[in-house]
Amino acid sequence: MTITMHDTPARDVGDTVGRLVLSGIQKAFGSGGSRVVAVDDFTLTVEPGEFVTFLGPSGCGKTTTLRMIAGFESPTAGSVSLDDEDMVSLTPDRRPMGMVFQSYALFPHMTVFENVAYGLKLKGLPAKQLKEEVGFALASMSLTNLANRAPNQLSGGQQQRVALARAMVVKPKVLLFDEPLSNLDAKLRAQMRLEIRRLQRRLGISSVYVTHDQDEAMSLSDRIVVMRSGRIEQVGAPDTIYRHPASVFVADFIGRANFLDVDDVRADASTGRASARVLGTRITVDAHPKAVAGSDCVLLVRPESIRVRPFGDTEERIAGNHGRVLSAVFYGESVEYEIETEVGNIVAVVSDPTFTEIAPVGTIVGVSFAPERAWLLPAED
Amino acid sequence: MRGRAAPHDETKESPLSIETVAAPAAPNPPLRTSRPRELRHDTATRVVAVVVVAILSLLIVIPVLTILSTSASSEGLAVFASIFSSSVNRQIILNTVILGTIVGALGTAIGFLLAYVQVRMEFRGKRILHLIALLPIVSPPFALATAVITLFGRSGLVTRDLLGITPNIYGLPGLTVVLTLSFFPAAYMNLLGMMRSLDPSLDEAASGLGASKWQVFRSVTIPMLVPGFASSFLLLFVETIADLANPLVIGGDFTVLSSRAYIAITGEYDVAAGAAYSVVLLLPAVLVFLIQRYWAGRRSVVAVTGKPSGRPDLITSPVARTMLLAPVALFAGLIVLIYATVVVGGFVSILGVNDTLTLDHYAYVLSGIGSDAMVTTTTLALIATPLAGVLGLAVAWLVVRKLRRGRSLMDFLGMLGLAVPGTVLGIGYALTFNTPRGFGDVVLIPALAGGGAAFGGAVAIVMVYVIRSSPSGQRAGVAALQQIDMSIDEASASLGASGLTTFRKITLPLVRPALFAGLTYAFARSMTTLSPIVFLTTPQTKIMTSQILSEVDAGRFGNAFAYCTILIVIVMGVIGILNLLIRERPVGRPADAMAT
Ligand SMILES: Nc1ncnc2c1ncn2[C@@H]1O[C@H](COP(=O)(O)OP(=O)(O)OP(=O)(O)O)[C@@H](O)[C@H]1O
Ligand SMILES: [Mg+2]
Repeated sequence: MTITMHDTPARDVGDTVGRLVLSGIQKAFGSGGSRVVAVDDFTLTVEPGEFVTFLGPSGCGKTTTLRMIAGFESPTAGSVSLDDEDMVSLTPDRRPMGMVFQSYALFPHMTVFENVAYGLKLKGLPAKQLKEEVGFALASMSLTNLANRAPNQLSGGQQQRVALARAMVVKPKVLLFDEPLSNLDAKLRAQMRLEIRRLQRRLGISSVYVTHDQDEAMSLSDRIVVMRSGRIEQVGAPDTIYRHPASVFVADFIGRANFLDVDDVRADASTGRASARVLGTRITVDAHPKAVAGSDCVLLVRPESIRVRPFGDTEERIAGNHGRVLSAVFYGESVEYEIETEVGNIVAVVSDPTFTEIAPVGTIVGVSFAPERAWLLPAED
Repeated sequence: MRGRAAPHDETKESPLSIETVAAPAAPNPPLRTSRPRELRHDTATRVVAVVVVAILSLLIVIPVLTILSTSASSEGLAVFASIFSSSVNRQIILNTVILGTIVGALGTAIGFLLAYVQVRMEFRGKRILHLIALLPIVSPPFALATAVITLFGRSGLVTRDLLGITPNIYGLPGLTVVLTLSFFPAAYMNLLGMMRSLDPSLDEAASGLGASKWQVFRSVTIPMLVPGFASSFLLLFVETIADLANPLVIGGDFTVLSSRAYIAITGEYDVAAGAAYSVVLLLPAVLVFLIQRYWAGRRSVVAVTGKPSGRPDLITSPVARTMLLAPVALFAGLIVLIYATVVVGGFVSILGVNDTLTLDHYAYVLSGIGSDAMVTTTTLALIATPLAGVLGLAVAWLVVRKLRRGRSLMDFLGMLGLAVPGTVLGIGYALTFNTPRGFGDVVLIPALAGGGAAFGGAVAIVMVYVIRSSPSGQRAGVAALQQIDMSIDEASASLGASGLTTFRKITLPLVRPALFAGLTYAFARSMTTLSPIVFLTTPQTKIMTSQILSEVDAGRFGNAFAYCTILIVIVMGVIGILNLLIRERPVGRPADAMAT
């Protein structure tokens, strides 16, 4: 699929509009005994042009939050404002926001062209300009030769591109996405991800994107908001979230994680680091501020940070930094080991392995990692 | 593998650059900011809801309540008491139940046979058979009754001239034949829809287990259709006990509740007794309607899987084909014979007695009274149909999209116009609207029915048509609205369309085809309905169905046949024109370039 991208000068939306401020918003459904608090105490600022993703397990309140931004739900507490203008008192049609739905939500009785033109028509754009703008939007999504088709004559990917063009053509200050790619197959998803990101960058529209796919979140976002049961667990850039998660929950949810038992934690608040004993050695690692001496702590080491060293098959004991290979799966670009150690089972992913280096099941291996790849954080209670 | 850290003395925190957002306290205290929007939103809905409730009250609730209160007078209560003491009245109720049961069972059986043949067999004339089966919907009931008398009566063409017998078909036999022929299409459509959506893979699974076709039919097909049988039976039962036209024409001494109420009002001028008989008719009708709609309707959903996943196994055995097709052909022949009688009967002097061709009947019908009635009836039905569409759609919109509490009640009120038997509705209207209504000297509702009312009582007739038709619009609207995902409305809103614009540009175009289909059917129903109309026609406002009734009463069958034929032609013509007008332009053309 070719993506036709005309590099046009920036539109009237730039880096100055689209500052979305959510403060302390809460949403409770029902009342009395059946009251469910779906979102609570949600505070976030989306900077102009920023791409923010809400990520979290099913039912954590992502959609509800997004719908409060769009105006389809009204918060039971808190405020939503856009460029210092209060949004809560506005109905959805008065908010300068566009939304892309999981179900595409194309109008089945209109052609692709009419779908995209709908919003501009409502604004009363003159016919010539309307045709131009719609044509441009269709071209930028490679939809030009599908303009006269009905939505039901399009593939899923094409439909979602129409939905995207339709939402962007009205130049909203904020774009909202609710799992727009979840009905597409994996390959198309990856492709659409790129398209969305490039268009959003080019138009500079602040965007809020809901997903429960971490790859999507990692590849699209300037910042990720990790949510858990209606509350924000952490907000940060993708690498921060991955390397320095705020909790075991976040570490577990984003990527794969080994949590190693540690002993004798000594934290140094002035440096933000701590030392602890793990796998028979004392090491000094970066630490979460709440990982202090006297609290339960675990050490996060990602599988790709674990180094595995063949050690010969003679030794029987597993102690210190020695462990026994429980399984070794060859994936081509990597080998994945599960290794039994004195601090529990560790998963290690060794990339670009040489065949002769693969440690057979049952053998003893040396396990190590660079301390700067580890992150000490408080254990979940 | 979570570790336990040893206690340590260092407790100072480090200033790490992680954005641990444990949600900083909101700068402003929690606001109840949602209120204004919800209130505004509710206002529009509330206005529509109030208006709809007011209209439904006027059209159906007040007339029904008037009947109930009139029947509660001392004369009415005397009738209630006599139902248990008087053997005549007990017989009337028994007659009504017997007739309803027989027609319900027979009509369901015939409907099933025709539907089964449509779904499970290939044969020539299949499409024509389908159209023949729908013919009774577009024809007034007398067409059938009068033709049946002409064909099978004491001096009938078939009975006396062909077979040499002179049976008395007035009474239960005639009623059974005529009502079954009139109402079986409802069962046919109901079962046809259901059988088309039955999952053929269930049959395949059963025959894969070694069951013979007959065993599959008995142990899989029939049990799965039981809810469909139940709902068809109940539907036909209600239609039958509510019918007035046929008991008047062919009922003879076999009195049922509806004809008894009619006699009380028009013959004995005993309003209270008429109201009392109506109530006795009303209660089972509404009860059965409720069962049919909310119990059988729900049950049938369970049996149907929605999307058929294959072609059903066709019946190919010659024996089975003959056994099924022979009665079907006979039945179709009967319907064709009856309608041929209607058409031919209008062009000869007295069919079977004096078969000389003549245009006298048409001349009589088309000039003078007849043409008046024709124009008036069609006009009033055409006025009522769009009104009914708006009302039905408004109810559907409230039920599906807007109401949470009270939606079942709203749904029920909207459907009540169909549940209340026509006879009861007509009497209720006559009681309610013949005189101005109000408190003291303040007139709230002027007289709408009767010769003294404005427009010669036409308003009340339009109202009856509307309340009888709006349930069709409502049902179509509910089904169509339920298929439109909420996100489509939301997409429109997020593109800047107000609620009204969204309704106009998105909802309405999507609902329109289903709505129009429902209303076409409703129009046919209005044109052919008699039972509520006989209580409401006036010398100024003549309605075709009641004109036909008086022609039949006077024994002028030729005129009646001509009327019926014209009525059928009008109904089919208007349906055809409507279909042409509302044919949707198809969206999009396959694979072509956009001309910019
Ligand atoms: N209209 C509603 N009435 C009552 N509860 C609701 C309603 N909408 C959502 N909820 C509840 O609020 C919580 C959050 O729902 P939400 O749809 O926001 O989750 P989500 O994070 O989008 O999940 P998913 O990833 O499955 O889409 C859930 O527990 C849900 O059951
Ligand atoms: Mg969701």
